[in-house]
Amino acid sequence: METVIGIRGPDFVMLAADCVQASSIVVMKSDHNKIHKIADKIAMATIGDAGDSNQFTEFISKNLALYKMRNGYELSPKAAAHFTRRNLADYLRSRTPYQVNMFLGGFDDKEGPELHFIDYLANAKSLPFGAQGYGGYFSASILDRYYHDKLTEAESYEILKKCVAEIQKRLIVNLKNFNVVVIDKNGIKNLEPITSVKLDAAIAAAQGAQGVRAH
Amino acid sequence: MFQQMNIQQNFPEYNIPGKQHHDFSPYESNGGSIVAIAGKGYAIIAADTRLSSGYSIHTRKQKKTFKLTDTTVLGSTGCWCDTLSLTSLLAYRMQSYVHTHQKTMSTNAIAQLISVMMYNKRFFPYYVSNVLAGLDEEGNGVVYSYDPIGHCEKTTYRAGGTAGALLQPVLDNQIGYKNQNLAEKPEITKEKAISIATDTFISASERDIYTGDSVVICIITKDGIEEKTVQLRKD
Amino acid sequence: MALQEICGLSDAPYMKSRTHFLKSTEEEMKNSTSNIENCYSLSAPPFENPMQNLNAIQQHGEKSGIKIDFDHGTTTLGFKYQGGVLLAVDSRATGGQFIGSQSMKKIVEINDYMLGTLAGGAADCVYWDRVLTQECRLHELRNKERISVAAASKIMANIAHEFKGMGLSMGMMLAGYDKRGPGLYYVDNDAQRTPGNVFSVGSGSIYAFGVLDSGYRWDLTDEEAQELGRRAIYHATFRDAYSGGIVRVYQVTKDGWINISNTDCMELHYKYAEEKK
Repeated sequence: METVIGIRGPDFVMLAADCVQASSIVVMKSDHNKIHKIADKIAMATIGDAGDSNQFTEFISKNLALYKMRNGYELSPKAAAHFTRRNLADYLRSRTPYQVNMFLGGFDDKEGPELHFIDYLANAKSLPFGAQGYGGYFSASILDRYYHDKLTEAESYEILKKCVAEIQKRLIVNLKNFNVVVIDKNGIKNLEPITSVKLDAAIAAAQGAQGVRAH
Repeated sequence: MFQQMNIQQNFPEYNIPGKQHHDFSPYESNGGSIVAIAGKGYAIIAADTRLSSGYSIHTRKQKKTFKLTDTTVLGSTGCWCDTLSLTSLLAYRMQSYVHTHQKTMSTNAIAQLISVMMYNKRFFPYYVSNVLAGLDEEGNGVVYSYDPIGHCEKTTYRAGGTAGALLQPVLDNQIGYKNQNLAEKPEITKEKAISIATDTFISASERDIYTGDSVVICIITKDGIEEKTVQLRKD
Repeated sequence: MALQEICGLSDAPYMKSRTHFLKSTEEEMKNSTSNIENCYSLSAPPFENPMQNLNAIQQHGEKSGIKIDFDHGTTTLGFKYQGGVLLAVDSRATGGQFIGSQSMKKIVEINDYMLGTLAGGAADCVYWDRVLTQECRLHELRNKERISVAAASKIMANIAHEFKGMGLSMGMMLAGYDKRGPGLYYVDNDAQRTPGNVFSVGSGSIYAFGVLDSGYRWDLTDEEAQELGRRAIYHATFRDAYSGGIVRVYQVTKDGWINISNTDCMELHYKYAEEKK
């Protein structure tokens, strides 16, 4: 039921994830952050089994920290993605596989921005954009439609807003808030969360400006 | 049979231990393939003559094309008993059309009639693969193809039956020119169509165990229906 | 003779006169093609609950190789805007994994002022749309005026209700123009019937909705609306394997329906890719 979306621009990567933590049919929390900083310029947006996603991201980030302490330099985003994938692949073949799907976004000073899709079967693929979870079905065509190579940060945020608006309009599950994170050469920065309250206000303002009646 | 099955499902205490319950499967696949091609002034329809069941061959001489009128031929394969029911009902309905309207049915009228008759058995479908070929009012060839419950589409070429999925791509390539980006597609002559149809059947009998023995090609023109037989592999 | 009666011999088929035999044969033949006289009278299956049991037979076919796969249609959309109603559909029909057709007509022209789209079972939709066409014409002859979209969709919903639980598969939109202006209704095999401004039906609908919702406004111009519909279907054909072929766009205005365009989605793909550069 959860959703993560990732977009890679020419000089940044943007990740968005919903903020719902649910147990059975109950929403326990609607401001739960699913985008974790796992290195200076790498973030991971993880969804899946409630316990696993926290446990797994923490496991990866601590290992990256350990690597930095031992070697004096950080793992590149590509290497981090590969490390993550390998761990998932090993756990998949154990008695305790992790039920997690994620986007790993990072900025490499040499290679530029990177976005990696990784799922619980240890599929990994570097992508220009993507979405996972139920909301992914509704976002796929919007990303196809509006993505282009010269995307700016502001444009990318607008696309995410379109995706969230569509998810909130069509998906029967209530995903009120989405956290957004951007990673660029300066590191990781949290952007204003996309919330249903703000989107509704924006739609109302737009309709008011055009003087359109509700049909 | 179904009544029985439901009793067993609903009253498990009446089940006999160790007894195997089989699914109700009132269909059989008797195999066979059809190819139909339409062009300017002609339509051809070809079907092989092997009738089999599982791994055994019943006969090598069963024609699967049915002449409905002087300008329309139906090719029908699948469950042979369904083919027989459908074609005899069709003959009955077409005869009563002649008595009512004092004329033979046009190809497109027959196409619609078949569609409606097949939909009649929506809840217990005929297991048949039908392809209808004939001439339209202007005397040009048309092909209609069907799904098991009577969805009908008008086309210019079509393969059906057990090797349908094997042959349709060949036709897409040879007749539809789908592999080439042409502004105008060359017209297929009658002779070319016959030779393509023959070739596809030779290919089908190489790879499909339910297709072989011989192929009967019906060539429909305004002068009538000519029939040609080509021998295929008998193994 | 009395002995015959007692033994029940006179009931045996060989004791019956030939004329009687012909009569029963004729009756049987009539019954087997009963929907020619009365389109609502379909043959009853030799088992109860066709939805479950026909499915069981189809499922059994996976093992025996007897695959009774019906053709299925896929992405359709329709929306109302200031200029009327716009419909856009793809043209792929699939029977199981096999692409049965890449040129299917998923918009049915019911009359000059009304169109129906079809998604789900192709035969179900086409057959019942044809019945609807007949009913609409009869309404016109009886009442000396064209049927409203609301009434037409109600007929369709009634048909769906009649056969509810029998396993029909239909998801259709009816679009038209009547006294009340533009009309757009959604009717499906559960007999659900509802008017609305924006609909998309079929397996590719979630993808079409994405593009459609993010670009939809009531005050779209005709060209904008046509392009939005076309784009939404194109993006659905791109993401959904069961959709593809030709993107057909139709528009209904107060003067009746018009076919705007029929474009191969390959052509659209390269056109849109070019625009992105």
